[in-house]
Amino acid sequence: MEAPDELLMLAYRDGDAGAFETLYARHRGALYRFVLRSLKDRSDAEELFQEAWIRVIEARERYAPSARFKTWLYTIAHNLLVDHWRRKGLTLVELNDDEHASPDNPAHQVEARETAARFLQALEALPPAQREAFLLHEEGEMSVAEIAAATGTNEEAAKSRLRYAMTKLKAAVDE
Amino acid sequence: MSDDPKISQRYRELPREEPPRALDDAILAASRRAVQSRPAPLVAPTGRRRWYVPVAAAAVITLAVAVTLHIQHDRPSEEIDAVAPAMKVQETPAPKATEPARAERRAPQPFAAAPSAPAPAAAPAASPAAEAEPRGDIGAASSGVRASRDERVRAQAQVARTAMEQGPEVILERIAELRKQGRHGEADKALAEFRKRYPDYRLTDEMRAKVEKK
Repeated sequence: MEAPDELLMLAYRDGDAGAFETLYARHRGALYRFVLRSLKDRSDAEELFQEAWIRVIEARERYAPSARFKTWLYTIAHNLLVDHWRRKGLTLVELNDDEHASPDNPAHQVEARETAARFLQALEALPPAQREAFLLHEEGEMSVAEIAAATGTNEEAAKSRLRYAMTKLKAAVDE
Repeated sequence: MSDDPKISQRYRELPREEPPRALDDAILAASRRAVQSRPAPLVAPTGRRRWYVPVAAAAVITLAVAVTLHIQHDRPSEEIDAVAPAMKVQETPAPKATEPARAERRAPQPFAAAPSAPAPAAAPAASPAAEAEPRGDIGAASSGVRASRDERVRAQAQVARTAMEQGPEVILERIAELRKQGRHGEADKALAEFRKRYPDYRLTDEMRAKVEKK
């Protein structure tokens, strides 16, 4: 059975560097995509991603598992994003189509690209708070209560943001 | 909450991007460096990490001796000058250990040499018991200077300790105060330090307006 995140973080706090590596491997992809899809600039996203982990490292001595590690991690990322948005405003990263071409037939490729582009457009068009709620749900696999905790809002607001995001994305997919 | 599997599926069809290898390496290297240089834990560890305690104790003792010597070494010259003629008049046989210590203090010596070999011999000269001995005017003058210096050091330590013990709200109020006074450089530094210390602290809009640069 895998060790829970909170135990790994406590082990890291007590000097076990290997515990951090496991923790990092577990969350790196999802956190990266969460940040990447929340920001326009890839280098900004990488900087913010790195900063979030550095904050985790620096705060290890004060870490106490009062909440789930994942909620704590995404709260740190959320705070960094809020700072970033305030400085620069927000748009989403444009994915480079050529990098992600599928080996399927051309007609299917075009259709798939169009669908993906439409979906991304809809995601990009969401208000930041709704997009964040959606990304936390998808990438962070968070419940409404956890989204509320990570973003410093109440459950009703988190639920409403997520519902609006889902409705708008659904409309885009059904087009 | 009603999840729509179609939406999730669409989202999952988007490229599953991963952080670049160089970024992984930088973060993992930082995590290793941090634990290599971490301070001793507050609770005594058990098992294979038991050696931390004696090593930490030795480091604290070495630091204490070095700081004592440094303070002695950096004593203002007026103080030494004031003590020297009086010593001649009084001609009291000083404890033998203090003489070489004073001579050493006057001799030009690089700071780096302070914690080296003569350190343990010089340390008793600065012991509180020796300082407390009544020595007439000389003692009064010198202990007066020393007392004010000690007081200053104690006050600085108290300020640092208070800052450490303060809650985030008190620190934020101070940053806001710095902003109000137009000391933006200091406020920026303090805010950066605050964010490192409390990475998951959520600023209210009102407080954010007070502490952030407009």
